[in-house]
Amino acid sequence: MFGDLERTPRTLLVCERSSFLDEKNRLSSQVEQLHFNYKVSMLLPECSSAPSHLEAVFNSINSFYLIRKLPIHELLDKHFLETAVHQGRVSGLSYGTRIDEDNCVALMPNGHLSLSLDKDSFEVLGVEGKPSRFNQRTNSRFVVSVDLTDSSMAPGGRGYQRLVTGLKSRLQLKTDFLLSHPPGCGASLHAFLSRYDWSEHKPEIRSHTLTDLSSPLLTSDLQSCDPRRLLEWLGAVDAHVSCENSSSSFLSSLVCPEPRTRLSQALSVSVCGLLRPQDVQQLIQQIRCYLEQPRLENWVSLTVHGFVDSPVSWGGEEHGVLRGGDNFYSLLMFHDHTYQLHLATGAHDTCPP
Amino acid sequence: MSVFMDLNVSFSAERSRMTKLIEAAAHLGFSTVAINYVFEPMAKKKLEIPMPTPVKELIDQLPVVQGRSRPIRVLNRLTVVMSDSSHFRPNATEYRGFDLLAVQPTTEKLFHAACMLYDVDIICISVTEKLPFFFKRAPVNGAMDRGVVFEVSYSAAIRDSTRRRYTIANAVSLMESCKGKNVILSSAAEKPLELRGPYDITNLGLLFGLSEGDAKEAVSSTCRSVVLHAESRKSASGIIYTMKTCSESSSQQEALAADLGEAPAAKRAKPHLTQ
Repeated sequence: MFGDLERTPRTLLVCERSSFLDEKNRLSSQVEQLHFNYKVSMLLPECSSAPSHLEAVFNSINSFYLIRKLPIHELLDKHFLETAVHQGRVSGLSYGTRIDEDNCVALMPNGHLSLSLDKDSFEVLGVEGKPSRFNQRTNSRFVVSVDLTDSSMAPGGRGYQRLVTGLKSRLQLKTDFLLSHPPGCGASLHAFLSRYDWSEHKPEIRSHTLTDLSSPLLTSDLQSCDPRRLLEWLGAVDAHVSCENSSSSFLSSLVCPEPRTRLSQALSVSVCGLLRPQDVQQLIQQIRCYLEQPRLENWVSLTVHGFVDSPVSWGGEEHGVLRGGDNFYSLLMFHDHTYQLHLATGAHDTCPP
Repeated sequence: MSVFMDLNVSFSAERSRMTKLIEAAAHLGFSTVAINYVFEPMAKKKLEIPMPTPVKELIDQLPVVQGRSRPIRVLNRLTVVMSDSSHFRPNATEYRGFDLLAVQPTTEKLFHAACMLYDVDIICISVTEKLPFFFKRAPVNGAMDRGVVFEVSYSAAIRDSTRRRYTIANAVSLMESCKGKNVILSSAAEKPLELRGPYDITNLGLLFGLSEGDAKEAVSSTCRSVVLHAESRKSASGIIYTMKTCSESSSQQEALAADLGEAPAAKRAKPHLTQ
């Protein structure tokens, strides 16, 4: 009976080391596959304020829209399909819905619509779907996955009609929806959005300068730091948890991994919102430019978190929450164009690419 | 998985305490709670089965569940503590006012009868004393076949350290007989501080011997199947659906014909039975 207690919750960590100069590096495809990014947090050691070109990238990240109580059949509206899905590469996610409790909806930029429904809703909707991969003894969660660019889902087709009637009359699915669009597509969406209660939001940027921080000695060649301890330390810094482990404090016993050094200052920046993979790519490019000049410390870390309640994770694969729904990746970049990439997921997830 | 439910929140006559309890449950993420009225018939005194107070009198406006956009759902439940077989009267009219029916047997014979015969939804496992009997596989399997679930409540463990030992010991011996199926975990909270969040209760289930998935089911899917089992018990397997008419006095009820009532009942999924 106590065998289960000794096991920690199941997590999956994939570690990769490569270089930007190597042609076979898969970093751009790995970044592209995580469609819905919630937070990007960066740690720049020995830096007191964000460099100007990085600030420029922050300001250029597109805003996203939050639509309250959007009936999901509107995503299948002919006009919306033509302008937003086929031509634009709009993506969106339901907001305020928990993946292990409610019905969740995700619209991916490649035109795939994924509905993660509980048993009652799935049976009422009446559209073909598969049981979730993470079901326990009985099937209590079902996934309906529809390719809106496929010919069978063209407006007027049978599959399309069935889904639209299902969402309009049988299961009136209404959720708050976050919508993100590529640059330049915003105006055409306004006509669609004006029918509902919508608001535009810019990603929230928070920066924090830390002083007198102990950090592990990170170099590109040595296997100096165990990935798990490194990720734990990065998380502690991002959450402002002290890693001193002083004898008088009982709040945290986390320590900085050995071998360690002392930084006089470091800048921790985080951007929260609905971010597209293209925004992440731009940030990575700018940080590479930043690292090209000689610095006191030759590394920068960038961590990208996906949404906990998203129905899909990397590459449109199903995502669920057992005890935690983290799906994130952490990129540690060095000045000689090498990097270490750690991709991590929780129990109810497939292996990251 | 389905929404998180806490099917045992103790009733108290103070309105402010009930309001705070329901608000705390909604804040922690529970989408459904069931107010528990405990009825313990004694041989000497003749006690009346309590009538459930309507939810509107307990709280003005149902709070929205944290992280979702729906308000919390409140059900009524009756627990009959049995020390004699005459204490539970099957098909008593007083039971109709409650959504869920639970029974707490105190002897082995009563436990066997409750598992195999009685028309209830939940069998409570006592956590305040050492179990006077052992769980045998036969009645436990019989209960699982019928769709009856076993309940372990944890707030006694929060209040007192001796009861913590009894809770864990009784729960572990239950899990050995039932192999983790058909179990629900609930608080028997009297104060808002005795409530714990659903993921914390999942971790507590690990301590009782459940696997990770089973422990999460104990707070979500199994509770959903209990509520559906109760609905089908009240409506004779989902065929006849009775509805109280507001204009008449509260004791009168009207049975609608099967075809009229089938529209809401037919959309329900089957009660979850062991597969």
